[in-house]
Amino acid sequence: MPELLNIDNLHLEFDTYDGVVKVLAGVDLKMQRGDVLGLVGETGCGKSMTALSVPRLIPMPPGRITAGRVTFNGEDILSKTESEMEAFRARHVGMIFQDPVTNLNPLFTIREQLVDAVLYQRAQGQKVPGRWRGFLPSVRQMRMEAHDRAVELMRLTGIPDGDKRIFDYPHQFSGGMRQRVLIAMALAGDPDLLIADEPTTALDVTIQAQILRLIRSLVSQLGLTVLLITHNLGVVARSCERVAVMYSGRVVEESPVRELFKNPKHPYTRGLIAAVPQKDISRGGLEGIPGMIPNLIDPPAGCRFHPRCEHVMETCRSAVPPAIPVGEGHTASCFLYPEDA
Amino acid sequence: MNIRFYILRRIALVIPTLIGLSILTFSIARVVPGDPVGLAAGPQATEEIKAALRRELGLDQPLPVQYVNYMAGLFRGDWGESLYTRRPVIDALRAFWPATLELTTAAVIIATVLGVPAGVISAMYRNRLPDHVARILSLFFVSFPSFWLAMIFQTWFGLDLGWFPISKRLPVLVAPPAATTGLYLVDSLIQLDFETFLVSLRHLFIPALVLSFGAFASITRITRASMVEALEKDFVRMERAIGIPYRIIIFKYVLRNALIATITVISLNFGWLMAGAILIETIFDWPGLGLYAVKASLSLDFQPIMGIAILYGIVFSIVNILTDIVYGVLDPRIRYG
Repeated sequence: MPELLNIDNLHLEFDTYDGVVKVLAGVDLKMQRGDVLGLVGETGCGKSMTALSVPRLIPMPPGRITAGRVTFNGEDILSKTESEMEAFRARHVGMIFQDPVTNLNPLFTIREQLVDAVLYQRAQGQKVPGRWRGFLPSVRQMRMEAHDRAVELMRLTGIPDGDKRIFDYPHQFSGGMRQRVLIAMALAGDPDLLIADEPTTALDVTIQAQILRLIRSLVSQLGLTVLLITHNLGVVARSCERVAVMYSGRVVEESPVRELFKNPKHPYTRGLIAAVPQKDISRGGLEGIPGMIPNLIDPPAGCRFHPRCEHVMETCRSAVPPAIPVGEGHTASCFLYPEDA
Repeated sequence: MNIRFYILRRIALVIPTLIGLSILTFSIARVVPGDPVGLAAGPQATEEIKAALRRELGLDQPLPVQYVNYMAGLFRGDWGESLYTRRPVIDALRAFWPATLELTTAAVIIATVLGVPAGVISAMYRNRLPDHVARILSLFFVSFPSFWLAMIFQTWFGLDLGWFPISKRLPVLVAPPAATTGLYLVDSLIQLDFETFLVSLRHLFIPALVLSFGAFASITRITRASMVEALEKDFVRMERAIGIPYRIIIFKYVLRNALIATITVISLNFGWLMAGAILIETIFDWPGLGLYAVKASLSLDFQPIMGIAILYGIVFSIVNILTDIVYGVLDPRIRYG
């Protein structure tokens, strides 16, 4: 049985006035059904772009995929037509984004948006009879069922009084509740994969914890497969089983969560973990990784981390390190490994 | 706050506007340089005759008294009379206004029906061929003076091709439908007189089309701009990500966000077209209010001028109320805010 998701050597570039931005430079990522994978990295490392390439929501042009494959259940996604993609998104993928305020349409009730999510995800690209045809008993029946499903989804995502609140508009909900509505919309068609792109970044800390708890409980209730994108290692530690660390357009290390925190291998990961503020920061202030994120128009040759790496070797400047197994389900893309070599 | 209260509040807000407008036009009509009574009485009139005329018209009284009398008259349906024809202003408005209203409304409808889809298509195919075509067309039409286009259309479609009549609302020998609203299209439908309906539609089409061009251009441009802006919103990406078809996103979710700006421009255009119809009315010999208004202002015939200003004010206020109501229907945040 093939992996649910297999991103293989994905290269993505953007044309800009300043030049070609090499956003992704060979991303490899595999997910099995039931995985909860965290994708972490700094701003601009390409984690959102990796996520958006699965439902193919990267605007092209200016974006351009120059190499690589993305397969889902063995199906090649990059060769699908746009209308096949619409059906694909409806059937297989649910996605939630960072800002719950701007991701809901302000002019429509939650009911309108949630019922549409249910109807179109069930239809999987087929035509859905419009609301104006509600006088037909079959359409009426269909819309009533969708309404019931919408209320059920609101209950599932922990929105109290869903049967009444469904008639409200987004501005009548708090940020945390809106994010729950968005999760409900993403789950409306029982997707195989839920992609959560920084779902808690725009929320305050207590609400963050609630949303993460909700995602965890949905994972155990529904057996969801989740790709969780975040720059927050704490979020990963609490929510994921596996974690992939990205740096400048590549996955540099992948491992089970505990293993990664206990035994980070890649110098970048080590720096990242060292940079997490401790409760007692009076001892030495905040740690950082020296240097800057590389310029993606003219990235460093070889390993893109080499200008900032304390273990830099001659090969790092010219060759791109492959992913080397360094433990049980643990790989790192670094020439320091294998250690016995 | 429910929608009924919202509408009532909008209507209530119009009242002070109209009072302000009436004071303003009243004052302007009284302080314009020139002597309307002198003009009306003729060059040979003696001072006594002029004084008698002033007294007869109530112009010898203090301004506030005149104003109160005038306003009281308005509510009784007495809008004063023309100094020249000595006919009641209200009769002239009744006779000429429906023609202008019909022409303007038809032009706004044409501009909206063509302009909104053109703007949507432009935005959907931004910087591609359909966008360029729509933008060039709208620039083309807005760049030509409407009186020139009017004459060209008259020549082509009226004389050379013979498809459309070149003037008036109806042929001389056809009796207008019984006046309920004064709008021939509406009245003929009420009478179920489809023949007259078609004939008056043919008369209306070319003048309304020419009049609509400027509005078409601005509606297209604003619809395109606000669609482009709305298409960049986060919720569009979210809706696509969860599998809502693109055409549903465009025509249901995005268009409604874009329409707020478009509605504003449509209502503004309605006002401009009412005022700007005069050229088209002249060219097509359209018996509208424009010509009456121009004659009145050239001869300082202040009663018709004020009557027209107040009528336009009322109509514009109604259009504004309707616009506000549409805002409220489109955007719940306005309704509840």
